[in-house]
Amino acid sequence: MIQLDNHRQGSPDPSRRGSFASLMTAKYTRATAEPPVVSIVDDDESVRESLPDLVRELGFTARAFSSAEEFLASQCAAETGCLILDIMMPNMSGPELQEELRRCSRDIPIVFITAQTSDTLRARMLARGAVECLIKPFSDTALLDALNWALRAN
Amino acid sequence: MSDAGALIVDRPLGKSIEQSYAPLEAILCTQAVQQRSWRPPDYERENRALVKLMGVLADSPGSILQTLADTILEITDSDSAGLSLLTNDSKRPHVDGNRFYWPAIAGMWNPHVGGGTPRDFGPCGDVLDRNRTMLFTHWERRYPYLGSATPLAEEGLLVPFYVDGKAVGTIWAIMHGDHRKFDAEDDRVMASLGKFASSAYQALMRIEDLKVQVEEREKAEAEVRRMACDLEAKVRRLVDANVVGIVMFTLEGGIKGANDAFLNMVNYTHDDLNSDRIRWKDLTPSEWHDRDEQAVGELISTGSFQPFEKEYFRKDGSRIPILLGGTLFEKGANEGVAFIVDLSEQKRAEGKLRNSEAFLAQAQQLARIGSYSWRETTDQITWSEQLYSIYEFETGVCVTPQLIRNRVHPDDSTLYDKIIEHARSGSGDFEWQYRLLMPDRSIKYLHAVVRAKRDRDGRLEYVAAVQDVTARRLSEEALDRSRTELAHVARVMSLGSLAAAIAHELNQPLAGIVTNAGTCQRMLAAPSPKVEGALETVRRTIRDANRASEVIKRLRALFAKREGVIEAVNLNEAVEEVIALSLSGLQRNQVTVRTELDDDLPAVMGDRIQLQQVILNLLKNGSDAMSAVDDRPRCLTVRTERDREEQVRLSVRDVGVGFEPSAAEKPFENFYTTKRDGMGIGLSVSKTIIEGHHGRLWAELNDGPGATFSFSIPRGG
Repeated sequence: MIQLDNHRQGSPDPSRRGSFASLMTAKYTRATAEPPVVSIVDDDESVRESLPDLVRELGFTARAFSSAEEFLASQCAAETGCLILDIMMPNMSGPELQEELRRCSRDIPIVFITAQTSDTLRARMLARGAVECLIKPFSDTALLDALNWALRAN
Repeated sequence: MSDAGALIVDRPLGKSIEQSYAPLEAILCTQAVQQRSWRPPDYERENRALVKLMGVLADSPGSILQTLADTILEITDSDSAGLSLLTNDSKRPHVDGNRFYWPAIAGMWNPHVGGGTPRDFGPCGDVLDRNRTMLFTHWERRYPYLGSATPLAEEGLLVPFYVDGKAVGTIWAIMHGDHRKFDAEDDRVMASLGKFASSAYQALMRIEDLKVQVEEREKAEAEVRRMACDLEAKVRRLVDANVVGIVMFTLEGGIKGANDAFLNMVNYTHDDLNSDRIRWKDLTPSEWHDRDEQAVGELISTGSFQPFEKEYFRKDGSRIPILLGGTLFEKGANEGVAFIVDLSEQKRAEGKLRNSEAFLAQAQQLARIGSYSWRETTDQITWSEQLYSIYEFETGVCVTPQLIRNRVHPDDSTLYDKIIEHARSGSGDFEWQYRLLMPDRSIKYLHAVVRAKRDRDGRLEYVAAVQDVTARRLSEEALDRSRTELAHVARVMSLGSLAAAIAHELNQPLAGIVTNAGTCQRMLAAPSPKVEGALETVRRTIRDANRASEVIKRLRALFAKREGVIEAVNLNEAVEEVIALSLSGLQRNQVTVRTELDDDLPAVMGDRIQLQQVILNLLKNGSDAMSAVDDRPRCLTVRTERDREEQVRLSVRDVGVGFEPSAAEKPFENFYTTKRDGMGIGLSVSKTIIEGHHGRLWAELNDGPGATFSFSIPRGG
């Protein structure tokens, strides 16, 4: 039962997109029926489980990827309005993915998330052009603020 | 002897032959002499003959024997007369001769001069054996060899004569026909002449002695002449070869002559020499004058002087080292000859050799390398100076394989024996390391590189370079030790990054918990709560909380359950090591460290590495507390001292930001930190460690700026 639910929630389900409640709580509203796509890239499974649910509760469409390579291969970059990106991952790191996207002229707003603790990390990430850098654990409101800021131009 | 009639009998005849001839009695008629009528003595004639003999003896002793024979012939009125003398060589008389020879004969037998008879088989021998005058008749009947001595003897009168009581020969007279027979008067005259013969014989012997002496002297003179001739030739060759400088000198300082070699050495010419411009005294630098005086003294007293080294001036004023030796032509003379050898090359070579030897010795000393050679067949060992000092043998001691073996460490002596045995069997080149046990019980490590070679005769010789590698060995060991320690300390140092890794591990589940809780809240707060979804987030929250708890458990295990090594730890040393290792980091932060260490600090029992972790944490903590300090020197003071109740205290004092007085216990709580990048876990772990050592860790604010963190643990033992 739990596994079935897990599976269903882990995969994109059009029927669950853009519920009324999430639209009500979201500061950002759209005229179109399609909420913006937020892609989550993190090698930590528990993040991939929990964060898409929260993002959806916040009124966005969520996609989850376990690595930078998987994200690049998925062709989702084109429809992604905002990227929630873990900094430290095996193989390609978050900042490296950022570089790669820039190289392909895919200027997607990025919210970095990290479990690292450093005074200077957030400043460095903002300097690199990130919308925000959230240190785990972070609150739902901090995330919502960051996503709204990222998607404001749209 | 060239005469056909000379009678020569060299070998005595055999006994069997003797027996086949007439017995002695058959040829003797001695008794008849006294029975015959005898003629009256003619004293006048006898006196005349004796005076003549005396004259000859005085004037020409060489002809005395012939004169004696003539006299016998005359006085006895016989046909032949002569002497038989014992001899070994038929040339000279000899008292122990093995035969008789006839040195002088007058009358008919004169042609037989030089002939003779055997000692033990003839009339003369019979006379000496019986020690009296004997008269023979037709002796050839018993002694057939006399049959060839012609004319045959009708009668022969033989009288022995003596020197110093020993019979040395006979005088004799022979009648070949029967015109007269010997009588008593002949017997008397012969006896008296026999006494004279003795004197004549002695005179002759003296002459013979003299002859021998003269001969020997002539021989010696000839030898001297030959040698002088040789020597002259050699000297001439020497002079002409110009290998050696030759100088004819006078004691006063002049040079009468010199060869080209000498002139070349001193760069003078024959003209200079001929015009007396060269004087050896002027050629000699003043500091050598005393030595010259000594040599001249030697010359005057002994005729020559021992060669010695000195210097001469060349014509151009430069100096030439030489070897000088010389002799006077005659002792007491004023002139002599000297030889001079140019030592320039030798001195240069010596200098080079000395330099290279000195250089080698220095190099060996610097490198602590000694060398030796070992002749396997004779065990002859040549030992370098440095090796004497490495082995601590008294310089000059004769080094033997046994002496070396005595110095080898007992644990290595079996190896040594094997190596030697191996080497003796002609193993070729080899290298090995061994230890020496010195008289003061210290140990030296030696490394030997040994090369084998064979000389022209195929004998085995080893040449070895031996290096004292004790210092290297000890430093290697020390390095090994500090490497191990370094590894330990590196483990300590990695705590910081470990803490970061732990924080990362912990933050992941915490993030999950927070996210799930937020989602759950939203799902339930919605107008139509999504209970199923909320339950799912709760389930995930519980799972993540458990995961966080696991991380903390692992963390605890890491610090609390670590098996420590309990040993006596000198905190001063521990502090100094930690400071040494963190110095670069501290300097990067412009932190200086001052130590106030109690030299008499007792050791504590504990885990050295854990205690160093604590010290490191305290240093890092103090350094971090001063990172914002710019208005005063960032100074850390580390102090060790005895504390009350058998405790030892270590404190680290900083001049940093300090902490809120009400929070004095907070730094030691997990996750309390005044720093944003720290987990605050260091001090809490430190506290756990110190408590594990039955001690306590605390913090105090200073009177001035900053804080002091201290721990105190019981002393060991």
